[in-house]
Amino acid sequence: MVSNSDRPSNGALATVSRRVIEGVLTAWAAVSLTFFALRLIAGDPVASLLSQGLASPDQVENLRRSLGLDAPLLIQYLKFLSGLFRGDLGTSLYTSRPVGTVIAEQLPATAQLALTGLGFALLIGLTLGVISAWKEETSLGQFAASTAGLATALPVAFTGILGLILYRQILGVMPILGHDVVRRLILPASLLGFASAGAIARVVQASLKETMKGPYILAARARGIGHGFRLLWHALRPALPPVVSLTALEAAFLFAGTVVTETVFSRPGLGRLLVTSILQGDYPIAQGLVALAAMFYTTSHMLADILAFTIDPRLRRVT
Amino acid sequence: MKLHQIPLLIILSVILVSIATACSIGDEKTSTVVYGLTLSPSGIDPHLNASSELGIPLASVYDTLVFRDPETGVFVPGLSENWSISPDGLKYTFYLRRDVTFHDGTPFNAHAVKANLDYVMNPDHHSQKALFMLGSLQEVEIIDDFTVALHLVEPFAPLLDSLSDVYLGMASPTALETWGPTEYQFHQVGTGPYRFDEYIPNDKITLSRNPDYAWAPSIYRNSTAKIETIVFHFYEDPSTRAIALESGEVDIVGEILPHDANRFAVSSDFNLYPIPIPGQPMQFFFNTHREPTDDVRVRLALMYAVNRPQAVKTIFDVYSPVAQSPFLASSFDLEPQESFPAYDPDTAAALLDESGWKITGHDNIRSLNGVPLELHIVAPSWGSNPEMAQLIQADWEAIGAHVTLEIAPGFGPLKEAQTNGEYHAIGINFFGTDPDLLRSFYTSTGLYNWSGFEDPELDQLLNRASQIPLDLESRLTLYEEFSSRVREEALVLPIRNYVNLVVVSNRIEGLHFSAQGWYPILIDLQMAP
Amino acid sequence: MRHHLSVFLSIGWLLLVFGMSIVVPMISDTNPRQPVSEPLLSPAQHPPLGTDALGRDVWTRIVHGGRISPGASLVATIITVLVGGIAGLIASSMGGWLDRVIVWLSNSFLAIPGLLLAMLLVAAMGPRLLTVILAVGFGAAPGFVRLSRTVFLQIREQNYVTASIALGANRSWIASHHILPNTKNQLLSLATTHYAWAFMGTTTLTFLGLAGDPSIPEWGVMLNAGRAHIIDAPWLALLPGCAISLTILAVHRLGAWLSEME
Repeated sequence: MVSNSDRPSNGALATVSRRVIEGVLTAWAAVSLTFFALRLIAGDPVASLLSQGLASPDQVENLRRSLGLDAPLLIQYLKFLSGLFRGDLGTSLYTSRPVGTVIAEQLPATAQLALTGLGFALLIGLTLGVISAWKEETSLGQFAASTAGLATALPVAFTGILGLILYRQILGVMPILGHDVVRRLILPASLLGFASAGAIARVVQASLKETMKGPYILAARARGIGHGFRLLWHALRPALPPVVSLTALEAAFLFAGTVVTETVFSRPGLGRLLVTSILQGDYPIAQGLVALAAMFYTTSHMLADILAFTIDPRLRRVT
Repeated sequence: MKLHQIPLLIILSVILVSIATACSIGDEKTSTVVYGLTLSPSGIDPHLNASSELGIPLASVYDTLVFRDPETGVFVPGLSENWSISPDGLKYTFYLRRDVTFHDGTPFNAHAVKANLDYVMNPDHHSQKALFMLGSLQEVEIIDDFTVALHLVEPFAPLLDSLSDVYLGMASPTALETWGPTEYQFHQVGTGPYRFDEYIPNDKITLSRNPDYAWAPSIYRNSTAKIETIVFHFYEDPSTRAIALESGEVDIVGEILPHDANRFAVSSDFNLYPIPIPGQPMQFFFNTHREPTDDVRVRLALMYAVNRPQAVKTIFDVYSPVAQSPFLASSFDLEPQESFPAYDPDTAAALLDESGWKITGHDNIRSLNGVPLELHIVAPSWGSNPEMAQLIQADWEAIGAHVTLEIAPGFGPLKEAQTNGEYHAIGINFFGTDPDLLRSFYTSTGLYNWSGFEDPELDQLLNRASQIPLDLESRLTLYEEFSSRVREEALVLPIRNYVNLVVVSNRIEGLHFSAQGWYPILIDLQMAP
Repeated sequence: MRHHLSVFLSIGWLLLVFGMSIVVPMISDTNPRQPVSEPLLSPAQHPPLGTDALGRDVWTRIVHGGRISPGASLVATIITVLVGGIAGLIASSMGGWLDRVIVWLSNSFLAIPGLLLAMLLVAAMGPRLLTVILAVGFGAAPGFVRLSRTVFLQIREQNYVTASIALGANRSWIASHHILPNTKNQLLSLATTHYAWAFMGTTTLTFLGLAGDPSIPEWGVMLNAGRAHIIDAPWLALLPGCAISLTILAVHRLGAWLSEME
């Protein structure tokens, strides 16, 4: 493989900065859409407090004033934006605690699940993708390819429950060491990862097939490196850049996947927080969560593109 | 390091980080008990919030002025060594213990009592339960450092009972002052056998043993706690409770589903404790302000249409008796003279025909003047209410109604649905040892009068029954009359008396529960030898 | 041959689901909400599929669910295709600032992961099956705008379109006579893939309890209800789960086959 210098060229810097600006604009737009969608469709968030007897009419008026809800929608929007910059996401309607605090409390559990899930997604996706490309003609390769296809089609709700049932059967037959860690983290994370693994596997498969046709593979063969793992290694390295960018994208999808996984496995976390806040009508929390998700998604999108540039010099020419 | 190795590095580090974080979930095996809670309340300050779940950990963080013996129902001294009640029932004087300190070092005295009761009665704090348990309390008078008098506007018989419940547990005035009503729930300080370490919503509550505890009431078997640490996790999803028990993730958990309970009952690794909970049964109130349930014949018909024994058997197996009264506690069985309607679909049909709701077209839905019989049920999401609501829906559909169902995922949404007024039947119940809580539900101005029934006679009955101090006989007579009235007017459909199915791992012994039913007496827990 | 076998199976399953959901309610009038027997009977004890926790017949509920779940997703997909397709058509036909605005708007919506966007919409409108359908429908629309726009633009680049413009045809004529007819197949294939997504999205949201009414025999709702019994009655969760998964797989296969046909 031809090695370029590790420093990105000037053209790349311009591209990167443009991507960042685009990303920021998109994030801003997404967050704004969240705000307006909730406010316009849902109406007055404070009214529900009154109907629940949690506040008297006077207090509702005071609360309305202190939350700035009597100001025109545009002013409220600006305040919301400026609050975002300061890290102030508003206060929960029910507990009056700052949304930021509530989210921060639940974040570690979700982060743990999502990161572990990402690890599994890569593990499973790489394995399936490599096998399906490397052993394409054999039934093993076909099986790997079908499994990858299955992974994207099966809903996480179902695989989660299947996993629980199977796990319980195994538990009944033999005790598993550290089984509470397995049940609470490994099992849900692996199923979450499995759902994303299909997309990764497909990209790995396509990318690997491309590189395997490349001239340097022929050259390696000519040099005497056999059809074994060493050849695979040579072909795999340059095939990875698109995988990395896809993984960064999948990171965002994983976040959405944690919603279901946390419910099925009764884990605490942001996913459950989102579902409960929606069911209970606690708009500030739902709004804060989706706004954060949008920003996270845009950031990982940006990072994916930037990573792709730095790793694959060929992409830098595309401005 | 070459750029093309970055992907591999990223992948490896992600995997390593996740494994490392995964391993950091440890189980401390030394004298720690893990207890499973079943719902995550929106707030856990007993002075302000109403959930019974919060009492499970907190009843051991706080002591109360008096305690109630779980077996005899008799009141025994707690933080108050002695007390006297004036003959007119308007003044309660408490003589407090002098040797008690809060977990934060603040001494317990009459000032602390006043601070607590003022905190509850402060209208800006919106106490959802404790405030109502104080009834007609008007003023708290400090007579001296260890004597305090409570002055009532009218006699209020349930006061001692209220003061024995965790909602009126004594908190450190310093902590109340420092943290205020929103944050205090995360920094609770009491005098009880366990200290409140931390609360992470949806995740856990941690209690640790209070080594200085030296004022246990007579109903506690141990004088000090044996278990070092108790961690509470949340298992809102009933399906996960049995799994958690079997995997050893949790040692004790309540509200086990009946079909799971059968397995635990025969297992040698676990013990099953069915604990009856006093108070109102699972029930559904009819909306008397909305057609067609504004017609008492329709309400009666709807009651006859429900096969309660079968519904209870389907959902609760053998573990729950069918409810026959609007309230059940030791010394208070408010069964009316004439029993609530038994399952009789023919009578139901006849009553509906009589009130004009007849089957006209092919689709088996009754109608009156061209308006089809449509009913809307609102059920809370806890305690198997959604399942019961579905069975009620099926029974009502069988006699010719079109029934829609709405599940309220929390107390707030439940109240909100009720305020909208668009229901014909709504499920709600409170637990408690004194029938005085019925006033909130059945008097014209009661906060929880969700049937909307307004009757001055009923108001009078209930108000009087709360006023007679300690004359059990007279109270009972009044409540019996009240029950008959409720039955006549078909205000409520009682379903089942609560039985909490608690399963305990056999590595722990000594579990027993307080008079209120829900709260375990944690000080008496110990590891099995 | 094996390739075609999977297509046959897919179509077969979809026809089976659709057909049963129409035929069975006509020949038997069992209300899927009525208990018929003891709860939690296995398929062996109460053929063909046993009873659920409330004693209701699982077979009846699955069959009735075959009308609700696929139907709801169909409505959602129609919303997506109409809203997204029309916006994409306008964007590609009009060009200029309108095109840029539409593209920018849909990109912004796309920054929110689809499921979360749908949940947000349900949050605003309240949890009911209807709002789930609307949320999934509108939630997928931004993505469809982009996809359909790409397809329409490709056709626009063709010579015969340029020729029409030179001959003086206006935009709507071009749209109806050249663009729409020539993109039918591609749009159909896209719509089918979207249907699979909509189906997964609807059943996931109802699984999370956002449909409000737990008594409806919708497959996602049934899957959730089955969770309490995976130890003593695993079929209660497995059956609706398999039904959902098979449907998604079948639609995916169909979509892939349709796109191969060009």
